Amino acid sequence: LNIYFFFFSPQTVTGNFANVIHGLNANHLTDQVIQRSKRMILDTLGVGLLGTSTEVCHKVTRYSKIYSSDISSTVWGHLDFRLPPLYAAFVNGVAVHSMDFDDTWHPATHPSGAVLPAVIALSEAFPQKKKISGLDLLLAFNVGIEVQGRLLRFSSEARNIPKRFHPPTVVGTMGSAAACAKLLALDRLKCKNTLAIAASYAGAPLANAATQTKPLHVGNAAKHGLEAACLASQGLQGNKQILDMESGIGAFYTDYNPQTLPTLQSYPWLLDQQDVAIKRFPAHLGTHWVADAASSVRKKLVESSDNLLPLDKIEKIILKVPEVKYVNRPSPTSEHEARHSFQFVACSALLNGSMSVQSFASENVHQPALRELLSKTQLEHPPDNTPSFDSLYCEVSVTLRDGNTISDRCDTFYGHWRKPLKKEDLEKKFQSNASSVLPAEATEGIIETVYNLENVEDCSVLSTFLSGRSARALSEKRHAQSNIVGLG
Amino acid sequence: MWLKETVTSSFASFIHGVKPEHLSKIVRHRSKRMILDSIGVGLVGSTTHVFDIALQYCQLYSPVAVSSVYGKPGIKLSPTLAAFTNGVATHSMDFDDTWHPATHPSGAILPALLAASQMLPPSTKPNGMDFLLAFNVGLEVQGRLMHFSTEAHNIPKRFHPPSVVGTMGSAAATAKLLSLSTAQCMHALGIAASLAGAPMANAATQAKPLHIGNATRLGFEAALLAARGMEANPLILDDIPGCSGFSVFYSVYQPKPLSTPSDHHEFLLEKQDIAFKRFPAHLGMHWVVDAALSVRNLFIHYAGSFSPSLIRTIVLKIPVSKYINRPFPSSEHEARHSFQFNACTALLDGEVGLSSFTESSIHRQELRELLDKVVVEHPEDNVANFDKMYGEVELLLHSGDVLTGKCDTFYGHWRKPLSKESLLKKFRSNASHVLSEEKIETIITMVDNLENLSDSSQLACSL
Repeated sequence: LNIYFFFFSPQTVTGNFANVIHGLNANHLTDQVIQRSKRMILDTLGVGLLGTSTEVCHKVTRYSKIYSSDISSTVWGHLDFRLPPLYAAFVNGVAVHSMDFDDTWHPATHPSGAVLPAVIALSEAFPQKKKISGLDLLLAFNVGIEVQGRLLRFSSEARNIPKRFHPPTVVGTMGSAAACAKLLALDRLKCKNTLAIAASYAGAPLANAATQTKPLHVGNAAKHGLEAACLASQGLQGNKQILDMESGIGAFYTDYNPQTLPTLQSYPWLLDQQDVAIKRFPAHLGTHWVADAASSVRKKLVESSDNLLPLDKIEKIILKVPEVKYVNRPSPTSEHEARHSFQFVACSALLNGSMSVQSFASENVHQPALRELLSKTQLEHPPDNTPSFDSLYCEVSVTLRDGNTISDRCDTFYGHWRKPLKKEDLEKKFQSNASSVLPAEATEGIIETVYNLENVEDCSVLSTFLSGRSARALSEKRHAQSNIVGLG
Repeated sequence: MWLKETVTSSFASFIHGVKPEHLSKIVRHRSKRMILDSIGVGLVGSTTHVFDIALQYCQLYSPVAVSSVYGKPGIKLSPTLAAFTNGVATHSMDFDDTWHPATHPSGAILPALLAASQMLPPSTKPNGMDFLLAFNVGLEVQGRLMHFSTEAHNIPKRFHPPSVVGTMGSAAATAKLLSLSTAQCMHALGIAASLAGAPMANAATQAKPLHIGNATRLGFEAALLAARGMEANPLILDDIPGCSGFSVFYSVYQPKPLSTPSDHHEFLLEKQDIAFKRFPAHLGMHWVVDAALSVRNLFIHYAGSFSPSLIRTIVLKIPVSKYINRPFPSSEHEARHSFQFNACTALLDGEVGLSSFTESSIHRQELRELLDKVVVEHPEDNVANFDKMYGEVELLLHSGDVLTGKCDTFYGHWRKPLSKESLLKKFRSNASHVLSEEKIETIITMVDNLENLSDSSQLACSL
């Protein structure tokens, strides 16, 4: 009776996910998926390296240093110490999201930051004799991205900019778990349990966005997904229908309709159909439309006045944006708030022409000229401006004292998936970010390694570069070590 | 300019400002009982498989290994991982205390406090009173948060309460023990909210104990991060329309500020005691077991002995709660969450205890036969609420006779608390699985005299 039931029972969504995670292999990766995911990897590394210099990152690093052990992984940008894989994943994940500079997908989440730090940290935790290839890493990374995308499609709530749970903490944790399960080559049952355990770590409220704690959301997603995979690997079991039940992952959504994944036969990756957006400056994605529209308006305004913004001639600034409460901040006081403020980015772009990492430095956040512009800024929420990264727009209108109004509208900013960054610009962003903490040799090494990832035999070379150690120094060290051992 | 105090800041002020003098006699007495029971349950829990997995995992990350692990005198772990491991132990068998509104309060805070007490340098070790106070702060915060939502009054359906309020309670308790400033207490709560919340689906699985393990550990981490200057949303407990804070875990949410403790603060524990379990299973099981034992006595009186063949049908009248309604549980975790299993075990054996949940016990033929006879009914007046529910077991015999047993309040419930003797018996029985008699008596004495202990880390060291 039992066997009959086993063969004829409908497959659970959870079991199906486990089968797919387990069954996907390198041959399934299409060219476009490979290309897009390598861009994501490069961008994420750069953003993370830059992020190691932030205050939030310093705090979590100090905290994580309490825990050091024999098995250790690279802390990006640091040669001077290492951390256990769990905490390396945490700290690097925090770094990636520390400035809100990391990639964004549709439906909305920050996919790479939750996965990359975990798989890289894990790749360093394997015993010496087991090499993880670049292709293994690339595959695991894509499994992590795919799982996130699929889960986001289980709820219509996920299509819009979030209001309740911060998506990276829900799907990001699951993605990290899936990616780590893949890298650990867990069997189907353990893949299922990985997902089940990870669910019990998922979910953080949106209210911590625009605060110093937000970066921890991505750090924790990476860390807890990794932990779930490790616990499952050791035999821990959870609910085998975690994705099927309303009281499972369904608990995070008000409407929840899970579906099984497509068959492994020529698997259709979501990244093939839907690319990510890469940010040009470190702030919430919604502000990128605002920045492009504002820059454009500024160009028109300064044409007639020697390239200086005629500040005292400005009467009013109106921004037509979607209604997104946590990015509506008329007068931000911290860098975190500034990164989540339509108003701030509009005024900053009007004042300076373009946005950059520097735009959010304390002295710029509190600049008097900026404060003045902010006081003249209002938001409007046209009903046709839906809070979805796929369809929102921004219109900036500056009304002058003489009654004239200059305005412009941005439907698709440069960096959005409809207008992806060119290779040169992606690299430029990476170089600008990475060079703030790594020597040129390491930054070049990372670019080369990532571009060639599927052919890299041992991905630990990536970690080596990430720590700042140069290849030459590494080979010198190896040479020296082999001399000591008498093999030189 | 008078600023209206936010709910969040009122909590921070409370955590920071409450003092030992605020603890009433009843509160001290009740919380010490909870501490003892929790330790005992954790000790016996250290013999479980799920505990082994958790411990093995944590041992990968040992180095600042200063904190004790239940039942493992030779092993120490880093503080938050010790808290995690001990939290898992505490909930591993579902043997730990339950409160109203529903949560498992002690397991979410005690392990963190024990671990933290060993972490602090000798010159700043908290005394027993500090420890007891911090414990009660952790309880109080959990209770107050649950009162923010009417949803919390009933047996949960979406998020497992210990993972929601437990994490916050742990953050509050450790913030208190570590003497964080008011602002830091506030940020500890904010950071903890981002670490809270696990779905119900993992109840009745091996992963459920992790909910308590993680609650106590992550709340502790939140406090440690706050101590190092991490900042979060200062309005995390307040209702923020359009951008959810702690409210995200509830569909109805009405936060209220805590009054700053002046001369007199009434702790919730004063008015609402805890339930201690008599056997390791979900609290709901305790009603049906007592009802089953009662009808069993009637049956033996009627038939001379317990003769299952005389029984045609066993009717269980229970509240509606999907995750504890399991006709044929196949694992110990499922068995602990099955009205049917617990009722039948009580009928068959005349008692339910640790050994009722072993593999062989679960798969006994005689038990399966009894389970086959069970039907479940959900009377409208039987609400899924630990303050109001009841359990009724009806034996419909082949002869046509009907025997009934009903239980409104099981022994161990807050309306009928365990006597001191019963509580000690449970503790000794649990602790004896891993500790010597001498150590057991030491712990009992230490907890009983907690207010007078000069260095509370001695408690953790004695485990």
